[in-house]
Amino acid sequence: MKEAVLQLRNVTKKIGNRKIVDDLTFDIPAGEVFGFLGPNGAGKTTTIRMIVGLISMTKGEAIVNGVSVSKNFELAMTHIGAIVENPEMYKFLSGYQNLVHFARRHSGVTKQRIDEVVKMLGLQNRIHEKVKRYSLGMRQRLGVAQAILHRPSLLILDEPTNGLDPAGIRELRDYLRKLTREEGISVIVSSHLLSEMELMCDRVAIIQAGKLIDIRSLQENKETAQSKIMIEVNDLQAAHRLLASAFDETRLSVNGDQLEVSSDKAAIPDIARLLVKAGLDVYGIHAVKKSLEEQFLEITGGEMVV
Amino acid sequence: MSSLKQLIRNENMKIYRRPRTWLMIGFLVVVLLIMGGVMKWDESRSSSSDWKQHLTEQNAQIQMDLQQNKAVDAESKKWQTNTIKMNEYYLDNDINPNKLSLWDYVDNSASLIMLVTILTVIIAADMIAAEFSWGTIKLLLVGPASRTKIMLGKYVSTMVFALLLLLISFAVAFGIGSFLAGFNGLTLPHLTIGADGIVHEGSMIVNSLQKYGYAIVSLLMYVTMAFMISAAFRSSSMAIAFSLLFMLVGNTLSMILSGYGWVKYLLFSNIDLTQYLEGSHPLRPEMTLSFSLLMLAAYYVVLQLVAWLLFTKRDVAT
Repeated sequence: MKEAVLQLRNVTKKIGNRKIVDDLTFDIPAGEVFGFLGPNGAGKTTTIRMIVGLISMTKGEAIVNGVSVSKNFELAMTHIGAIVENPEMYKFLSGYQNLVHFARRHSGVTKQRIDEVVKMLGLQNRIHEKVKRYSLGMRQRLGVAQAILHRPSLLILDEPTNGLDPAGIRELRDYLRKLTREEGISVIVSSHLLSEMELMCDRVAIIQAGKLIDIRSLQENKETAQSKIMIEVNDLQAAHRLLASAFDETRLSVNGDQLEVSSDKAAIPDIARLLVKAGLDVYGIHAVKKSLEEQFLEITGGEMVV
Repeated sequence: MSSLKQLIRNENMKIYRRPRTWLMIGFLVVVLLIMGGVMKWDESRSSSSDWKQHLTEQNAQIQMDLQQNKAVDAESKKWQTNTIKMNEYYLDNDINPNKLSLWDYVDNSASLIMLVTILTVIIAADMIAAEFSWGTIKLLLVGPASRTKIMLGKYVSTMVFALLLLLISFAVAFGIGSFLAGFNGLTLPHLTIGADGIVHEGSMIVNSLQKYGYAIVSLLMYVTMAFMISAAFRSSSMAIAFSLLFMLVGNTLSMILSGYGWVKYLLFSNIDLTQYLEGSHPLRPEMTLSFSLLMLAAYYVVLQLVAWLLFTKRDVAT
């Protein structure tokens, strides 16, 4: 793993006797898009709000670039840009005035930088209009602009896709990719939309009932492991018997009119030879990657996400 | 890290870029103009050509009353002799008391500080609560400025707004006064009768500023209270409602309850410092100016502390 941009150490939030977030300890590597994944009420938003100081921690510490958020809030926040839920802006101000408002909080954000960010997010045509006339997608872009004005090393987005239409979500995804590439920003995103996270993130932490269940890299996932082979033949029973001798029985299952083998595609030639030698008619063999959703359901024990 | 100066600029931008702020300022100016107009109209109704004769007659009448011992108590006797002295002074110095001077307009505008207070309360009530209702509080707090700094910035801008309204009312009243009464009255003295029973000439501007000063004390307290409620309940309507309620019924309540000794510890019993001016009575005999100032200071500190604790320590979860 690369150097950590954010370290969480025993982060805990207790409300009454209930632990909303329970002893989270993990590092978020620099230069990646990192996702917080979990069912509604798992504690994603609470964790993110603790990192940015909106909610106090009962115990533990969040450290950004070596600066503790709870001990040195102002300095830590110079490293962070954030959008918490839908970015609500001052509607009676223009987009540009909103940016000036947020730029003033930081030392050293010049007019040129504001213009640069406006152009980068494609807002230049309507930046002097009042925000109340903006669409949600445009507000989202203005929110991103506001968050990156001061060149933070970490961008935190809490449920950024809430309320956005598919085009808006796609647009946001493109901006995030562009930002990590052009500005070298690390990004933390929380969401309950698995398919979105799969497209957006390099790595995800899966959180359930306030506890960290697993962290996995989605990049590795794409190349290796976690795939299955779907086989279409004329005689499913025969094929099942045949393959049971070559593979572990537990890795076989019948899925509709297809036989499913948990294995990567390196096994396909062997399977093909076996089936053909046995005189079965093979209509198709192909490898299928397990989606994040399936993996997620496996890990969280089948609890559905939305 | 944010500098306080920049945060105040931000808060000012959010106050003055809202059209309703300018509506309020416009409203204040219109009310001041109407008040000036009404004063002038009222003056023109009372005939002023024969004021010398009128004063002489009045004095003769009072003199007669005194000799016949019509006034029973010492209080009204004193008032009558003072009136005679004042009238004689007017006649000797050729000052028409019915003719309004520039300073009368300015003096009267001090009574409109009540309006300034209400307008500032509306602004103060919105300072923190509106950020919550707009949802902008999250972006506001997620920045390199501590909550204490943000709150201080908001408080300072609120007070600057109050100051602006005060300056506007003083300037507009001065303007109307000089337009309707001319600058002749500028050097007129402010007349009082001291304990020695002699007419004293005081400075008019000092007198006007004094009136403004007393009104500013209550402005400061009510605005701070609105700001506190805004920070505590995160609801601007609640902040406006409670502050105005206290403003309107607080005084009456203190009056009704003035029989009880503990009333002197209430905020409303101390907020009106004009009760210590000559010729008026404090709410309770044992109350003194320094007692009231001490109580006000204590209330001020408590209000600020409560607001600060609630704003800086509470989670922002919505």
